[in-house]
Amino acid sequence: MPDVKMVNVTIDGHVVTVPDGTLVVEAAKLVGIEIPVFCYHHKLDPVGACRMCLVEISPGPPVAQAGCIRPVADGMVVKTQSAMAVQARADILEFELVNHPLDCPVCDKGGECPLQDFTFRHGYPTSRIDGPRLHFQKPIPLSPNIALDRERCVLCYRCTRYYDEVAWEQELTVAERGVHSVIASQFDQPLTSNFSGNIIDLCPVGALTSRLWRFESRPWDLHHTPSVCSKCAVGCNVTLWQRRGQLVRVTSRENDDIDEGWICDRGRFDYTDVNDPARLRVPAVHGSKTTWAVALNTVADGIKGKGSKLGISLPQDLTNEEAFLFRRLLDGPLRGAKVKMHGRTALPAPSGEQLMIKDIDDARVIIIVASDTENDVPIVNLRVKKAVSKRGAKLIVIHPDAVDLDRHRETVHIRNQPGEAAAEVRKLADHELLHEPGGPVAILYGDGRGSEDAAGLVAACTELAAKVGAKLMPLYRGTNERGSLELGVAGWDSLDGVEALLSWGPPPTAGVPASVKFHAVWDHLPRPEHQNASVVLPATSFAERQGSYTNLEGRVQFLRPAVDAEAPLKESWDVLCELAAALGLPLDYVGIFPIQREAAKAFPALAALAQPPSPEPEPVPVLMGPARP
Amino acid sequence: MADENGNDHDPTPLRRPGEGVPPKPEGEKPSIAGDVAALAGGLKTTLSEFFKPVVTTMYPEEKTPRSERYRGRHYLRRYDNGLERCIGCELCAAACPVGCILVIAAENTDEKRVSPGERYAKTYEINMLRCIFCGYCEEACPVQAIVLGPEYELSDTSREKFIYTKEKLLEPLPPDVEARLNAKGTAVPTPAPLPNPPPQGGRETTP
Repeated sequence: MPDVKMVNVTIDGHVVTVPDGTLVVEAAKLVGIEIPVFCYHHKLDPVGACRMCLVEISPGPPVAQAGCIRPVADGMVVKTQSAMAVQARADILEFELVNHPLDCPVCDKGGECPLQDFTFRHGYPTSRIDGPRLHFQKPIPLSPNIALDRERCVLCYRCTRYYDEVAWEQELTVAERGVHSVIASQFDQPLTSNFSGNIIDLCPVGALTSRLWRFESRPWDLHHTPSVCSKCAVGCNVTLWQRRGQLVRVTSRENDDIDEGWICDRGRFDYTDVNDPARLRVPAVHGSKTTWAVALNTVADGIKGKGSKLGISLPQDLTNEEAFLFRRLLDGPLRGAKVKMHGRTALPAPSGEQLMIKDIDDARVIIIVASDTENDVPIVNLRVKKAVSKRGAKLIVIHPDAVDLDRHRETVHIRNQPGEAAAEVRKLADHELLHEPGGPVAILYGDGRGSEDAAGLVAACTELAAKVGAKLMPLYRGTNERGSLELGVAGWDSLDGVEALLSWGPPPTAGVPASVKFHAVWDHLPRPEHQNASVVLPATSFAERQGSYTNLEGRVQFLRPAVDAEAPLKESWDVLCELAAALGLPLDYVGIFPIQREAAKAFPALAALAQPPSPEPEPVPVLMGPARP
Repeated sequence: MADENGNDHDPTPLRRPGEGVPPKPEGEKPSIAGDVAALAGGLKTTLSEFFKPVVTTMYPEEKTPRSERYRGRHYLRRYDNGLERCIGCELCAAACPVGCILVIAAENTDEKRVSPGERYAKTYEINMLRCIFCGYCEEACPVQAIVLGPEYELSDTSREKFIYTKEKLLEPLPPDVEARLNAKGTAVPTPAPLPNPPPQGGRETTP
């Protein structure tokens, strides 16, 4: 990292020392002074489109200047509260509200809307506008999940810039020019990108809203819980929003080490199963409802002593705590059982030093082998795009089919025959890009969704990494695949021929084998496969579950329950402990914390479980006025 | 004894219960004539009340007049065309200091239009046992949908009956109250429901 010159700036009397090139709005944040912004977003390139951030800057011309595109300079004096700056911002807000419908009472953004807040804090107290306002069709469905309200739009272009800069998609654009500009999807086609939901969080007004959350509640009704996404192995941080026992919204929670505030549409919109009225809530044996004790004893009788005739099907979002309890069961009464984890890659547990997601930013060359990153690890895909388009990294993709990363003109896409990715990786050692100096090399490898020989591919990547001094990152697909691998329960056994089957989570994707005579299911939704199940146990969904996931870089993060698991639902660890007792293995844990402490002691990779979760960062106080003399 | 402001104060200190009755001042002797005179004085006051105007209201047969601004039970109002005024914005629930209002909103469709605009209240419940009749909900309402009417006799026989649901709240207001609300000019005029089909993304302005 080259030395960056530090400069001193005075903002409303506060002297702040920041690196040269910092924008005025960012410097003001450091001393807690709010400069209102619409178009500026700290993860997007500044454009200066909305002029909301006008401040007085000296030395300079005696006009209000946009603080979001102006880098600081040594000795600069910024006044946010001078009469000129205050009036300039109020005037801009008055312009923004000329055509704003002011339908805040029915707007889903109302209550958490920057336009509302800024109007209160920086705008004129009354309106002078009594003329006609623009009207559009409202709402316009942009996709099954997103609604567009053009009346409310302030044309900050955050959404289109995000699509362009971050997601590398072309679906959202500005139609017409000048005062006729409107946000529109390309050719009025529905948005199909896996990253479209982020524009809802980005929109500073109520123009882009979620159709799933539409009119479900006002923001102040909700209880929010910081948690982790359970849809893939990246482990994006999310906030789960609950009202009246229903999970009504999922939003991103910025963690610069992992997700930078973006989440994919699967994480954002795939939550309605939690509120399904058909959710299983009572244990059932052969279709008739019963108590937990009877059901668990029936399960224990059905699977006890079966040895290798017992199959255990595990879901990809098995928590570390459940995995640890399965480990204890597999070492004890269920020894010899065949274990199959669904939705996982064939990749083995990693060894040696691994690449962290945030290190992708600094890579000079990024090599992605046999992984459809857009669908398998979407937020890593965005990190790669950022490194390429904003940090100038070179990208080499080895994949048989077209991928979305090809949209960059300099992407080197090597199309291998399925199954021959390892050979292509070996050829790369002489690639000219890898011999240019400057910065590390990152190798990200998947398993081609089963089309590649995982062991051979890992060997080839490790060989290449040793030759060019690269760091490796295995791109797992299963949410807690890495944690389960480290605990040794991420099995890959065939379930054919088993007589008893314990399906933890949804039944096997390939169907229940015909040889199964006793089938016990722990699932949260009724499914046709449960028709012939001997025992069906009601499961908690990701919004009710406690536990932790290990993401693909080995970071252990906590899943916190947003919705109470109301009786007769039981926590997953509780069910497993009682099942173990029924099988003759007394596991008398009194809660999840003793399980976490013991797992941390037994498995070094889970040491973080014994640490108390790091506290939420304190919100930065917002100083509104100038410094006191 | 007068203080500097000219007020008289009884110099006798206040007594707490149990401190006993002070002894009668010395020199005052019991007298039958004095007692009879005191009795007659009391009876005179009582008898004189017979000839004064009666102020008792024979509630519940008779009722005292209510102030126009009296805050009794709540009503949800409708527009002249029958659409509900309530848009389900929950500002009443947000303003409510005791949290007795529950609103769950839903979206209007062309097939099922409940209120003008996009949003309506699917569920609207007020827990009258908890309500303190402060009228903040009425003040917060941006469309004058909720008003507190003149009724105050709300007793009932079970707690469940005190959860006023939307059906109950949508009962028509007493005509005089409705007329008064309309005459005060506080009522917003009946808006047109969204045109069907809505304008197609073009530039249209209100007349």
